[in-house]
Amino acid sequence: MTSTRSFVALMVLGCIASLALFILHLGLGTVWIPPDRVIEVLLDGLTDHTDRTIVWDLRMPRAILGLLVGGMLGLSGALLQVVMRNRLAEPGLTGVSTGGILAAVLFLGGVWGLPQPGRLLPFVVLVGALAGGILVLLVSSKRGGIDPLRLILTAVIVNAILGSLTAIVMLRSNYALGNILSWLIGSLHGRVWDDVWLALPWAAVAIPAGLLAARAANVLQLDDESGRALGLPLQPARVALFGLAGVLAAGAVTVSGAIPFVGLMAPNAARAVAGADARRVLPLAALIGCLLLLAADLVAQSFSIKPPIPSSAYRVGLPVGAVMAILGAPLLIYLIRRSTR
Amino acid sequence: MNDVEPIRLEQVSAGYGRRMVLEGLDLRLQQGTITAIVGPNGSGKSTVIRAMSRLLPARSGVVFLDGRDIRNFGSRNIARLVSVLPQSPSSPPGLTVRELVELGRFPHTGLFGRHGAEGKLAVESALTLTGLSGFAERPLDELSGGERQRAWIALALAQGANTLLLDEPTTFLDVRHQFEVLDLVASLCASGDMTVVLVLHDLLHAANYADRVVVVDSGRIVADGAPSAVLNVELMRTVFGVAAKIFTDPESGRMVCLPIGPDRS
Repeated sequence: MTSTRSFVALMVLGCIASLALFILHLGLGTVWIPPDRVIEVLLDGLTDHTDRTIVWDLRMPRAILGLLVGGMLGLSGALLQVVMRNRLAEPGLTGVSTGGILAAVLFLGGVWGLPQPGRLLPFVVLVGALAGGILVLLVSSKRGGIDPLRLILTAVIVNAILGSLTAIVMLRSNYALGNILSWLIGSLHGRVWDDVWLALPWAAVAIPAGLLAARAANVLQLDDESGRALGLPLQPARVALFGLAGVLAAGAVTVSGAIPFVGLMAPNAARAVAGADARRVLPLAALIGCLLLLAADLVAQSFSIKPPIPSSAYRVGLPVGAVMAILGAPLLIYLIRRSTR
Repeated sequence: MNDVEPIRLEQVSAGYGRRMVLEGLDLRLQQGTITAIVGPNGSGKSTVIRAMSRLLPARSGVVFLDGRDIRNFGSRNIARLVSVLPQSPSSPPGLTVRELVELGRFPHTGLFGRHGAEGKLAVESALTLTGLSGFAERPLDELSGGERQRAWIALALAQGANTLLLDEPTTFLDVRHQFEVLDLVASLCASGDMTVVLVLHDLLHAANYADRVVVVDSGRIVADGAPSAVLNVELMRTVFGVAAKIFTDPESGRMVCLPIGPDRS
């Protein structure tokens, strides 16, 4: 990336593309509403009543969540790659997804004997997610410090333990298995405005904070000695950036479950395009995350399957997490092959 | 000349874990001079630089920065007064020279600030001084070793500090680039504002570029003074354990230190 101008042009182009995907997303579904009609509905709320209901009440929350969750995961991954000094780090390594899912499984499985899930579930997931992140941080810190390599290793181990516990709890109860599965894979199905209000505060605080951390992130990308010589307290900076990555991922998991790959691909793509400067990588990773997730959710929405569950009489769309994994895997393999000799 | 030394060490001891590397070191830097710190491997050369910049806090004794106890400074305030270039610095792949040099402004702009006009000027002049203006937009990993080292020196210059501590800046460079880097350092000092400390392996460089040579052995200063006064056959034998010839090349007027082999006496 050579000039500031071309970077700004790239960001503007990305925003326009996001907007186009967003409008397309609002039009897509059982009833197709053409883009011009969508724009008409968006600009003038008083047009035909049915289209207005479909766009604003049924489809808008999911499309907004696609943008929010994509951006949060993209930025989270970019921050984490800085903290862990590793291009293969992704938001799941914070322990936030596995922690959130374990909480969800315990809750849905009725281990605690609580009443039906209802609207309480997202809050349970949120608590579990934050607890997972704090657990990873606690286990990996030694004398108050985090070492990037030790952080990765302990994160992988803690994640494995939380994942195993989830599997054990799931075996104990086949209760609401479908519901649990959609958290494991990650999905934006049937999301409503309440879900948007749940994710929005986290995004509104953590996305700007994460973007503002770019300068500290740049110093963290140097070797430890150089970073300290520039006057950055390394350990507090690492904890803060890890915390931001965790909060972003937790906000995403709370509303969508563990959507894989976005948080890995977005920062890698951003680096491939814009180089290493975090002042460019962080916003670009967030934007690419938005684009990737919206695009994957468009695909997810376009294909539906009828689950072989006797009680289920209607077809459901593919979970966006599965689409993301299938479409993202080839790109990921390419990135791994390119980054190793 | 300013009577306050940029850096003064008083009875400084420092080390890692239980191992003390420096023991009761006294050292005053003179403003506007180049000081070379030499000594065998493991003698504590690098630790002197780390203690001077509080990268390694002194265990006992006091480090004074501009006449004030360094413990009373914030990290960013130290970074505004002292630039340190570590022995083997590393940057993320793809980072351009300009992006690296801009990091030198970090101590001035803080976590969330932006570069002001002053910062932009500091970055440009650092690039010009190091002869890197033409390379500014190139990724660091595409440059030669010498150019890369100059980029790191540019980062240190952009910091705007008056004291520059360089830890073995020539170690991984070929002979030509070693001279290039040292000439650059000498030119920085020519104005008299900049105080430079070089940790060097090569005694030849120490002899020909430094105003003063400090010889460190086992965490103590064993010799300190003008190169011609300090570097002699006896020192080579006792500190470095080699038999050597030291003479001045009549043509270039440069001091030559020729190690013959391990000292067997």
